[in-house]
Amino acid sequence: MWKVLKIQDDCEILGVMSDLLEVKGLKVQFGSSKDPVCAVDGVSFSVPDGSTFALVGESGCGKSVTALSLARLVPEPAGSYAAGSIMFNGENVLEMSNSRLRELRGREIAYVFQDPSTALNPVFRVGAQIMEAIQLHRKDVSARDETIRLMTLVGLPDPAERMKAYPHELSGGMQQRVMIAMALACSPKLLVADEPTTALDVTIQAQILELLSSLQKKLNMSVLLITHNLGLVADVAHTVNVMYAGRIVESGQVRDVLAAPAHPYTRGLLDAVPKLSGIDGSDVRLEGIDGFVPNPAELPPGCKFEPRCKYAQDKCREVEPELECRISNAEYRMEREGLVGSEGGSTTNVQQPTSSNQEEGRLVRCHYPLGGSDA
Amino acid sequence: MLKIKDLTVQFGGEGGKPVLRAVDGVTLEVGEGQSVGLVGESGCGKSSLANAVVRLVPVAGGQVSFDGNDVTRLSRKELKSFRTRVQMIFQDPLGSLNPRLSVGGCLSEVCRVHNPGIGKAAVDQRVAELLDMVGLESLYANRYPHEFSGGQRQRIGIARALAVSPTLVIADEPVSALDVSVQVQILNLMKDLQKKMNLSYLFIAHDLAVVRYMCERIYVMYLGKVVEESPAAELFVKPAHPYTEALLSAVPDVEKGLKNREVGSDRIVLGGDVPSATERIPGCPFHPRCHKVQEICREKVPPRKEVSEGRFSVCHFS
Ligand SMILES: Nc1ncnc2c1ncn2[C@@H]1O[C@H](COP(=O)(O)OP(=O)(O)OP(=O)(O)O)[C@@H](O)[C@H]1O
Ligand SMILES: Nc1ncnc2c1ncn2[C@@H]1O[C@H](COP(=O)(O)OP(=O)(O)OP(=O)(O)O)[C@@H](O)[C@H]1O
Ligand code: SF4
Ligand code: SF4
Ligand SMILES: [Mg+2]
Ligand SMILES: [Mg+2]
Repeated sequence: MWKVLKIQDDCEILGVMSDLLEVKGLKVQFGSSKDPVCAVDGVSFSVPDGSTFALVGESGCGKSVTALSLARLVPEPAGSYAAGSIMFNGENVLEMSNSRLRELRGREIAYVFQDPSTALNPVFRVGAQIMEAIQLHRKDVSARDETIRLMTLVGLPDPAERMKAYPHELSGGMQQRVMIAMALACSPKLLVADEPTTALDVTIQAQILELLSSLQKKLNMSVLLITHNLGLVADVAHTVNVMYAGRIVESGQVRDVLAAPAHPYTRGLLDAVPKLSGIDGSDVRLEGIDGFVPNPAELPPGCKFEPRCKYAQDKCREVEPELECRISNAEYRMEREGLVGSEGGSTTNVQQPTSSNQEEGRLVRCHYPLGGSDA
Repeated sequence: MLKIKDLTVQFGGEGGKPVLRAVDGVTLEVGEGQSVGLVGESGCGKSSLANAVVRLVPVAGGQVSFDGNDVTRLSRKELKSFRTRVQMIFQDPLGSLNPRLSVGGCLSEVCRVHNPGIGKAAVDQRVAELLDMVGLESLYANRYPHEFSGGQRQRIGIARALAVSPTLVIADEPVSALDVSVQVQILNLMKDLQKKMNLSYLFIAHDLAVVRYMCERIYVMYLGKVVEESPAAELFVKPAHPYTEALLSAVPDVEKGLKNREVGSDRIVLGGDVPSATERIPGCPFHPRCHKVQEICREKVPPRKEVSEGRFSVCHFS
């Protein structure tokens, strides 16, 4: 699929990309049809083939519901898909038959979740569990050989011996490697990793992220990485979407978004990541975001972030901003190249990229984006 | 005020089971109003150390003293007063809160045990005060623990620990399970309370970046032993021990991550897991995973060296 991406007149992007996944206007509701609660409201994004794509936001903002929707895994009828489409390789997931869905879940989209200890069956040896995942999808290989190959691929030492272990005999990091091996059993085109390292030590987290990133390249699959920590995104992801209250509030290339976040929420999430350098730690108050993620049943009328936003104005209380390109490319490029100073309290000491051979669209849902020219 | 000397904590050993030395000769001090960090990977013995200090697990060797009194030899009465002066906060506050008691009920129970004979009005006032202190509205008093988010529960855990007006708070991974945004709120809260009440903290974490904001002095633990001990400011500028270096390198840092994308990663990724504490590793216990390992490390146990004033590292090459 070759195409020209057109976002708005002043930020036209000529891109050559083929999309594996394209989500448009996705809306997922829970509760009775009379009084539905919208957990995901009008989410659109696309994942190019063979890239790592991150979805970032605080607990309860709708990341997992979005991720589960991709293979139509949100429990129905408790939840329902009220609007939108999810095109996977040109096919709408929301219109697939049950048998096609089973095929999709087994062969094309695989999931890795946060807590490996609850996802593995405690009474079976891990080797048997991986073999079962293989036999489910493939008849052409010896399940045992393939298990050993996958265990080696995910960096489990001594696979022939390790196969005999029960889950509780493995550390959390090794259990997560087993989960990844099972997910890879069907050679998926898309691997959805929903907070795959949140339950792990930082050292093991670094190992798992490195593993995911190398597997993504080696197997040329796409990875959707879900996390609440923008710090994890910096190393491994190509593009990032920031989510708040069931909506995408900012998206773009990782290096652009992290170097100069345009949405106040993204700014807050970035500030909240504990830093290793800069100000001496012990005597400062940390910057972050005050308050809590609102309950989806009690969202404010205007901008959903308004009650927690330091930059809110009257307009924000009344009119909900659209997700759009608020920084024209020309200005944005000048700013990146240091030709104009950025406004709006952008205080990162991260160096701005000085050149870029691509022109990438930045989308932001805010009336007064930071560092932009419209404020 | 808290002095730990050569502390050893063991598990197993009965019925022919191998002895697991979770804490192996740790010496550590927390001064008045100080906050000290204890960092290391899962299983290195951080919780065992904390639990030994508050006598939740037995001490196998060494001394723990608090304000000059040997904690292992407290009389019943002394133990009671010790427990009001030293409090713990846990990673999962839900596990330490009674699910059938409302938050107000739980806090008033603690107040009543702490001040026998206190009147109802005084208890209610104290509960409102505690909730206010941790940034929760007093109308939350009637709700039950499961009705709160992770961050709110941690605030309740803190309120409960502070109900008895302790002087030392041992916080065992208090923010590890929280979103970064909520993590910041809790760290700020703990800092504010420390100033207001002149608290001392023993702050346990596996993420060095978190400790950086909280602590003046940091102890890095590996396999039951302290491998580096340093003022926080210096440790982050230049870690002395290779293990500390690897821990620092694992922290997900935005600036570092962006740089890695441009110039390639210089991250030290620690291979493997922490070995089991029942294994006997000859030489330096860290040598199977160390990126700076040399021949001598496999044979000889490294000495504890003072690398600069008040900084110690247990490595042949520090
Ligand atoms: N099965 C369900 N029934 C009712 N509401 C649900 C259900 N699943 C999710 N929700 C609601 O949808 C919203 C979004 O939840 P979601 O699990 O997607 O959040 P998240 O961003 O993944 O958060 P976390 O970081 O906690 O995993 C929440 O308000 C949640 O309460
Ligand atoms: N009650 C117990 N019985 C037997 N072994 C135990 C017990 N408690 C802890 N251990 C063992 O002692 C060692 C140290 O455990 P500890 O819980 O102190 O580590 P930790 O540093 O707190 O790790 P984590 O980050 O996972 O909390 C581990 O090998 C653990 O399996
Ligand atoms: S629209 Fe207004 S309230 Fe919302 S994020 Fe932008 S400035 Fe803040
Ligand atoms: S003594 Fe050797 S193995 Fe141990 S930390 Fe130092 S360099 Fe590494
Ligand atoms: Mg989730
Ligand atoms: Mg612990």
